[in-house]
Amino acid sequence: MQNVVTYLMIFFTALIMQGQTDSEVNTTAQPTKYQQGMRKAFQLWQENKSWEAANVFERIAAAEPDNWLPPYYVAQINVINSFTEKDGTKLKAQLDKAQDFINDATAISKENPDLLVLQAQLYTAWIVYDGQQYGMTYSPKASELYSKALALAPDNPRIILAKAEWDMGGAKYFGQSIEPYCKDIQRAIELFATFKPAGEFYPTYGEERAKQIQAESCI
Amino acid sequence: MKISVLAFLLLIFPSVLLSQNIVSGTVLDNKGVPVFGANVYLEGTYDGSTSDESGKFSFETSETGTQTLTISYVSFEPTKIIDDISKMKDLKITLREDVNSLETVTISAGSFSAGDNSKISVLKPLDIVTTASALGDFVGALQTLPGTTTVAEDGRLFVRGGDAGETQIFIDGIRVFTPYSPTANNVPTRGRYSPFLFDGITFSTGGYSAEYGQALSSVLLLNTIDEPTQEKTDIALMSVGGGLGHTEKWEKSSLSVNASYINLAPYIAILPDRNDWQKPFETASGEAVFRQKIGDGLLKVYGAFDTSDFELTQEDINQPEGTRFKLNNQNFYTNASYSEILNKGWTIFGGGSYTYGKTKVGIDEGNIKDTENSAHLKLKLKKRFSNRFKLNFGVEQFVTDFNEDYDEPNFAAQLGYNNNISAAFTEADIIFSRKLALKLGFRGEYSELFKEFTVSPRVSFAYKTGKSSQLSLAYGDFFQQPDSEVLKFTNNLEAQHTQHYIMNYQYSANNRIFRAEVYRKQYTNLVTYNDEFPDINTTFKNNGDGFAQGLDLFWRDNQTLKNIDYWVSYSYLDTQRKYKNYPFEATPSFANTHNLSVVGKYWINDWKSQIGFSYQYGSGRTYTDLNKAGFLQNKTRGYNSVSLNWAYLLSQQKILYVSVNNVFAFKNVNGYQYANAPDINGNFDRRELLPAADQFFFVGFFWTISDDGKDNQLDNL
Repeated sequence: MQNVVTYLMIFFTALIMQGQTDSEVNTTAQPTKYQQGMRKAFQLWQENKSWEAANVFERIAAAEPDNWLPPYYVAQINVINSFTEKDGTKLKAQLDKAQDFINDATAISKENPDLLVLQAQLYTAWIVYDGQQYGMTYSPKASELYSKALALAPDNPRIILAKAEWDMGGAKYFGQSIEPYCKDIQRAIELFATFKPAGEFYPTYGEERAKQIQAESCI
Repeated sequence: MKISVLAFLLLIFPSVLLSQNIVSGTVLDNKGVPVFGANVYLEGTYDGSTSDESGKFSFETSETGTQTLTISYVSFEPTKIIDDISKMKDLKITLREDVNSLETVTISAGSFSAGDNSKISVLKPLDIVTTASALGDFVGALQTLPGTTTVAEDGRLFVRGGDAGETQIFIDGIRVFTPYSPTANNVPTRGRYSPFLFDGITFSTGGYSAEYGQALSSVLLLNTIDEPTQEKTDIALMSVGGGLGHTEKWEKSSLSVNASYINLAPYIAILPDRNDWQKPFETASGEAVFRQKIGDGLLKVYGAFDTSDFELTQEDINQPEGTRFKLNNQNFYTNASYSEILNKGWTIFGGGSYTYGKTKVGIDEGNIKDTENSAHLKLKLKKRFSNRFKLNFGVEQFVTDFNEDYDEPNFAAQLGYNNNISAAFTEADIIFSRKLALKLGFRGEYSELFKEFTVSPRVSFAYKTGKSSQLSLAYGDFFQQPDSEVLKFTNNLEAQHTQHYIMNYQYSANNRIFRAEVYRKQYTNLVTYNDEFPDINTTFKNNGDGFAQGLDLFWRDNQTLKNIDYWVSYSYLDTQRKYKNYPFEATPSFANTHNLSVVGKYWINDWKSQIGFSYQYGSGRTYTDLNKAGFLQNKTRGYNSVSLNWAYLLSQQKILYVSVNNVFAFKNVNGYQYANAPDINGNFDRRELLPAADQFFFVGFFWTISDDGKDNQLDNL
């Protein structure tokens, strides 16, 4: 069974954040320190300097104790980089760090579907690392988080996508129909077209990934 | 308006208005190696930088006065420097390693952990239930670990030359007084509690923490799940019965209930065993766990009730018509605990358990009725001064009220005792560095029954010898009172005592674990008596003693062979003791010299199946041959058993499970029963003590219904 889970999880290693779209910024106004900092971090991230980006987000997190976005991105970079980490010691250190920042972000913004999905991805990183040891415990936890996130944000295309992708992996393995999940992905793509992030620097990724999955699995 | 004026001035005279300060320095680790990628910043500002390959950093800031410079890097403790900004130049910062890391040494002497919480798990949670020979019994899975002895007809844990009563079991830190289901003589018992309620298991074969007492050899610690992952219903249909479980979750609380019914009648009708059953084994049990979050605290209440009933006639060399044996047992166990993380690194834990056990045993014309009421109360405080120093201390109370009604045609008696034990313990965990850790504890116990006070020091120490290897040492004093078989007749005794000396080497890397442990255990004050079976006229003394010494080896490899996970355990044991009615020191019949277990699991992806294999070997056990001079002077032949199981995932939530114990039907002899009197040639006749059945077959179908359609009961098997 653990191997099943590992197998499922491989799908998710491909889950790379599709460039955080540059937020529409009112270029005429003088950017605040916060905006400057966040832009610099995203720029470093796009230049593949993700650790430096994480450091900048961490600094912003320390300066902006009431904003959940900087700790969210610190955690996200640590989680994403863990998917390819094979050294258990480093992996644990990174995921512990990610967990600390998810906890900080959750303390600021409760019941936040993006944070729930990130928590599920953190569990997934453990499962990818050692499905045998962590699959049985973390797989249902991740499922539960996706369900909870979707209940909180039933029309958020990113959440619909994340849950559909997770469920699809399992259905494929057992040779069950993936059609319901394809429908979800189609719906996510439609919703992405009109999706507006709740604010500047809010997560916006997912549309490319949804189209990619649709092209690979649903057509 | 003010802002734009300021901005204007800033543009023109930046250096005049705000003197830009430069903060610079080098970040090194504790070995003096430069740290690349450390985050260096002034807290609460946006000013900061990342250290380069040579550990250097430098950034400008417009801040002035006293500021906090934070330096953080993954797997090191964050460091803060509070100083005037003008002095933050050419700093040399040495980071302290975070001892919370995987690389930190752990005290491993004597204990095996299963679960995600432990840094190095010898067993994974799933192993408890997918080990071929275990049949879903957590005790069965632990019997494949080194340090245990194969006593196939018993089923309980026999650890390092100790008898089964020397191992105590705790649920959430609270003692379980009657952990095993009652069975007939040649049928192994099982743990009463279903494995899927637990998510962490620590099995210690010696040298354990001062928090645990009243165990001479070993403790088994089971932790119930804090928060179930989802709502679900489990249905089990088995060749020997059925089970139904359900978990319900609310915002801050959850409830899991589980009921099962086992009846061996149909199985025995198809595959008769060596017993003549008048009423085959039948048991009904129910368990429930309720969890409630209260602020930062967690309340857990666990309750289990079961009732067992059977009647049979067993072969007996002294009674041609056999011995009639019947048993009826009702057992209720409840356990409640509350833990809360308080301020400033304090954690409080309080809990208690209550056990009610009622057993009616009929042996031929005799009837014995036992009633046991036992309770355990515990209060524990933990103070975390830093990652490197933690202190634990607490008090506990054990209360037992035992009554027995003994009644046979020519003898009747009322027996019983009250046994109250008060205890206090304290223990410090000190991590000097990632390489060196020490645990030091003391435990004091006062027995009201014996009017005796005992003090047990416990100490263990671990040193990291290489990147993946470590050496641990442990020493401890352990006291335990005799069991009800003795206490119901006398209270004029003292606690029995052992001392453990343990040295452990552990290597762990790339999904491979190797452990080697040597130990010496010294027994003193063991209870002796002068009759074949103790009764009210028996004289009891504390003048028994003994020793156990040996070597335990464990190897687990999940890496070398694709889709195959296996482990091998070997134990060498040399033990002798004088206790009970032994005329002199001898190796008891529950101990043998060599034990070997090989457990393998093979995942076949295309078949969606896991095939499990296990082989157990135990060298011969001692028995007394009445036709020769001596006592426990002979040995049976060795024990062999190969078990196989197959779990097939029909779909994500439906599993078909088949298992066979002792596939090759090895004929194992557990010992011999000799006639009470010699025959006309002066020879004592004997018969073999055989298991009730050589083999056991099991078929089950397990179905889980949950919202997400993913969970299954593989972890129940």
